[in-house]
Amino acid sequence: MAGTETYTLNMGPQHPSTHGVLRVQLELDGENIISATPIMGYLHRGVEKMLENRTYVQGVPYTDRLDYVSSMNNNFGYCRAVEELAGIEVPERAEYIRVIVAELNRIASHLVFIGSLAIDLGASTGMLYTFRDREEILDLFNLVCGARMTFHYIRIGGVNRDVQPEFIEKTYKFLEHVPEFMEEYKKILLGNEIFMSRLKGISKLSQETALSHNMTGPNIRATGIPYDIRKVDGYSVYPKFDFNVVTGKNGDNWDRFNVRYNEIFESAKIVKQALDGLPEGPFMAKVPKVLRPPKGEVFSRTEGTRGELGFYIVSDGSTKPYRVHIRRPSFVNMQGLNDMCKGYLIGDSVAAFSAIDPLMGEVDC
Amino acid sequence: MKTYVDAAALEDIKRRFPAVEYSGEEAKPAVYISADELIALLKFLRDEMGFTRMENLTAVDYKTYFEMVYHLFAWKTADTCKDSADENLWITVKVKLDHENPEIPSVTSVFSGSEFEEREVYDLMGINITGHPDLRRILLWEGFPGHPLRKDYKQIAPPFVERITRRGH
Repeated sequence: MAGTETYTLNMGPQHPSTHGVLRVQLELDGENIISATPIMGYLHRGVEKMLENRTYVQGVPYTDRLDYVSSMNNNFGYCRAVEELAGIEVPERAEYIRVIVAELNRIASHLVFIGSLAIDLGASTGMLYTFRDREEILDLFNLVCGARMTFHYIRIGGVNRDVQPEFIEKTYKFLEHVPEFMEEYKKILLGNEIFMSRLKGISKLSQETALSHNMTGPNIRATGIPYDIRKVDGYSVYPKFDFNVVTGKNGDNWDRFNVRYNEIFESAKIVKQALDGLPEGPFMAKVPKVLRPPKGEVFSRTEGTRGELGFYIVSDGSTKPYRVHIRRPSFVNMQGLNDMCKGYLIGDSVAAFSAIDPLMGEVDC
Repeated sequence: MKTYVDAAALEDIKRRFPAVEYSGEEAKPAVYISADELIALLKFLRDEMGFTRMENLTAVDYKTYFEMVYHLFAWKTADTCKDSADENLWITVKVKLDHENPEIPSVTSVFSGSEFEEREVYDLMGINITGHPDLRRILLWEGFPGHPLRKDYKQIAPPFVERITRRGH
């Protein structure tokens, strides 16, 4: 009887569907995947080391470049950590503005996810539609801070500048638009039989496996565990808003897609409530020109778009942090890739990368 | 807001592990333990005190010694909490390591989700992790000189390449 032997195939780092420069070594038996080993570091810039050589305030734009699709959420996480370390009290209006921009960015990031998942499965129309609608959010950000991608808008102690009435008006208009374009995606993607059969029951993870890989964000919520830091920690002004934690049931790619799809509605709900209740007041706390947090350390986390984003900062009392460690959600989530690919076909591995939704800027840091 | 373990719980830990050191005065107490007893302590924390999540794992170089930092989180949900007033709890576990020859047992046997983070510590900080299932560098390539996050790391100057100019300039 003829024996078979396995062979190794490199997916990436130049493969168009690996979302940047991820390389995955697939061990194959025919077309079946035996194991998938992610190899990263192609985008490693040493952000943690760079932050050690810059002051706390200078560190904010570096966090923009971690997860460059949701920069606002990264700014938010870093600024919260420094504020906790230095004991800065943030004005309420600033907190509201932060929540508004962070949730708008979450919508933008999930739109990129839907678009890139669609294009990875061969539906290039999906990408065109989602990028068209993401443009509106980028225009809003352009209005509020003058940049479309790396915002550097949320600062230590508040936000860079106050929101204009024009921004509020246009955001309301955008929120009205949300159900319209979501209906369009529903028609294009959710009812599509090919799309369904490529996702349903593929890359299933049980709750135990997802927990054992320490996954967070939509990836763990897809298995049915309602682990959302916005609810668990209740940081910032999130406890004031009424929103649900979206969870899936089976933990397959279809659920991962649906969790993110429905989270857009929840984020829009939060933005609506925050705009309605936006209080008057200052948008920036009194922060000393030269920021010297007291000696100590802090671990602070927020819910990034891809999961739990944590900053561990050690201060030695000088103007620069002694050590910064960033707990990047995509990096930790990548541990689940092997279990998501094992036993499926090569074509499904593309859907698996896409469903984890890693961003290499964040994975490699 | 974040709640850290209270004094009573810390005393409990002290009773089980006499070698444990902590400062009860601080608002965010950290538990110091030796590298040999780390695994036993983490097992105890996970199984008996409900710290089921390893949220963060990293190392800090304090020039004369290294410090491994583990942030553990006990998430009280409707299923796991007996008393509705139970709060989510945090605990920080720290291990001091020798600067010359840092070595620590892998915690993957207790928290399997810390595999990549340990590889990162090995790669960037140069701490040898014993008993790790797949200990390779993760962000840098094999053969990279040094460990960049150490405080005494010196970057090697890039190779000198003569500038190509037009003739006569």
